[in-house]
Amino acid sequence: MIVAGAFACTSHKQEPPEGPVTRTLTDDAGRRVSLPANVTRVISLAPNLTEIVFAVGGGDRLVGNTTYCDYPAEAKSIQKVGDTLQPSLEAIIALRPQVVLISTASQLEVFTRQLQNQNIAVFVTDPHDLEGVFRSIEQIGAILGQSDQASSVVKKLRDRAAAVEQAVQHAQPVSVFYQVSAEPLYTAGRDAFVTDLLRRAGAKSVTADVPGAWPRYSNESALAAKPEAIILPTGGSMGAGNSTVVEALNRSPAALAGRVYKINDDHLARPGPRAVDGLEELARALHPEAFKQ
Amino acid sequence: MTVALLNPTESDPANVIAARQSRVTLRKTLISCAALAGALLLALLVLSLIGSERLPVQASLCALLSFGTNSCGLTQDQFDILFQIRVPRLLLAAAVGASLATAGASYQALLRNPLAEPYLLGISNGAAVGTMIALVFFGANEGSRPVLAFAGSLLATLAVYRLARGRAGATPERLILAGVIVTTFLSSVIVFVTTLMDATRIRSFTFWLLGDLSGTSKTLLPATITIAVLGAIALTLNARSLNLLMLGERDAFDLGVEVGRVRIVVFVVASLLVGSSVAASGSVGYVGLVVPHLARLSLGSDNRISIPAAALGGALFVIVADTVARTVIAPRELPVGAITALIGAPLFIYLLKRA
Repeated sequence: MIVAGAFACTSHKQEPPEGPVTRTLTDDAGRRVSLPANVTRVISLAPNLTEIVFAVGGGDRLVGNTTYCDYPAEAKSIQKVGDTLQPSLEAIIALRPQVVLISTASQLEVFTRQLQNQNIAVFVTDPHDLEGVFRSIEQIGAILGQSDQASSVVKKLRDRAAAVEQAVQHAQPVSVFYQVSAEPLYTAGRDAFVTDLLRRAGAKSVTADVPGAWPRYSNESALAAKPEAIILPTGGSMGAGNSTVVEALNRSPAALAGRVYKINDDHLARPGPRAVDGLEELARALHPEAFKQ
Repeated sequence: MTVALLNPTESDPANVIAARQSRVTLRKTLISCAALAGALLLALLVLSLIGSERLPVQASLCALLSFGTNSCGLTQDQFDILFQIRVPRLLLAAAVGASLATAGASYQALLRNPLAEPYLLGISNGAAVGTMIALVFFGANEGSRPVLAFAGSLLATLAVYRLARGRAGATPERLILAGVIVTTFLSSVIVFVTTLMDATRIRSFTFWLLGDLSGTSKTLLPATITIAVLGAIALTLNARSLNLLMLGERDAFDLGVEVGRVRIVVFVVASLLVGSSVAASGSVGYVGLVVPHLARLSLGSDNRISIPAAALGGALFVIVADTVARTVIAPRELPVGAITALIGAPLFIYLLKRA
């Protein structure tokens, strides 16, 4: 985990062709990343990172992104370099970026090395909770020299998140099953940032302690957990996928009481600025009484 | 490649067809199959009690022995876990295991090759491509999956057989090479089709490709069980012809076997078995290899015994493997194919060295 001190600027002796390296940031993978002072060409390899780049006011410097990057609307017309899982190295190098933003460290170790050989800095983000998302926004703001705007974005998001938590703080937490997909059954585990969103929204995820971020889950354990509500992240770029509850939960208290909530997957699955929209939607679905004026 | 088990020179043709032997064989078949069937039923009962959720043993046994007519004091949730989730999944595991092992045993006899196995020959991959096409184009229609999987496995079988057949007949080496070619070709087709799917589907799909029994579909379960049972019976009825075919196609023909007909029956029935199990559970590897070998090692290479024994043994093997898959890191799960390969590969190396 990163502390604020990681943003301290340090000097560096090497001088790559792209210009003098003037600062070093530590990314979520714990790597020290050397960056040019003035970053003007960035590629994002994940939709949440594209959203963050635009939110901190760096959209004009985004020279490439992925086919999944569809928000904001301007992101669609930016040069595509493949998708998050299979980006094209050639397309990336051809765009001559100074920095490539990647989500989660597990992605593409060899790929990262090849980019570094081309003097392209690779910055990894891997948030496990909403604070981690705020940190990603601040980090990307720092990379782009937009720290002020990033801070104000984070402040607004933090205020909205606090308002939600304030509204639900006296409500009885609802036990929730978060269904990522029904066949086979996947859920959100301990390391998923959405687990933190659920907690903040006044929910108690029945899989909050399961190791991993997106574990494959036992049907009978889901049934035995007797969730009071079921969240189906669906719609958005997911289309109609994941819009039915897994058979094992057909007779769960949640299904019997009609407490199955479909929430835009783009707000819950992308650790970016719209995660707070997701938080608000979760809280309003689970605790409608707390938001009555 | 050791072919000792199936090497025709090792078994005396006169012995195989001797009439006086057949009564002994029948008795041996009945005894060993009865023992295996007993073990299978016992295992089904015991493994129903094991899962990520703990159920009261006595009440569960009582409910199971009443075939679900009596809840025996189980709560509604416990009853549902037992009868809506565990039992259907165990039955599917048994049907898949029986199908794959029977198909493996008969491919091995027909092709006279101990390595002939649905997974290694690319036949499972053929069925997987068929299932994928059904998923992509007829997603809502579950019934289309086994039909297209059957078409895929049949086409893959014919392709392997054609490729393997040189002027000197289908040598074991050529057959395995043909299997490798078809497997790798179909693997790239699978990769290509997955690029047409959306990201969430790909994840479920890769899990399914490794063999996964969690998505037990109630609509497909009866068909999968029926095909497994009828397929095993159909192939057992052709076991005598397969015994003679193990001597070589020409000798078998001279001894009165309708070689062409037997070949078609085995190809079609085995493809149907592979297709229905892949459509239901993905590609569970090694079952068709390990189980028939174990059956022949312990009961001899007479197909009249080894085919039905492989069917029952395959069912036993997969229900045990799947129980491991669903409990070892509970409440998370592993794909059953990972477990069968983990048990199967070392066991197979051991068998090869011993044979």
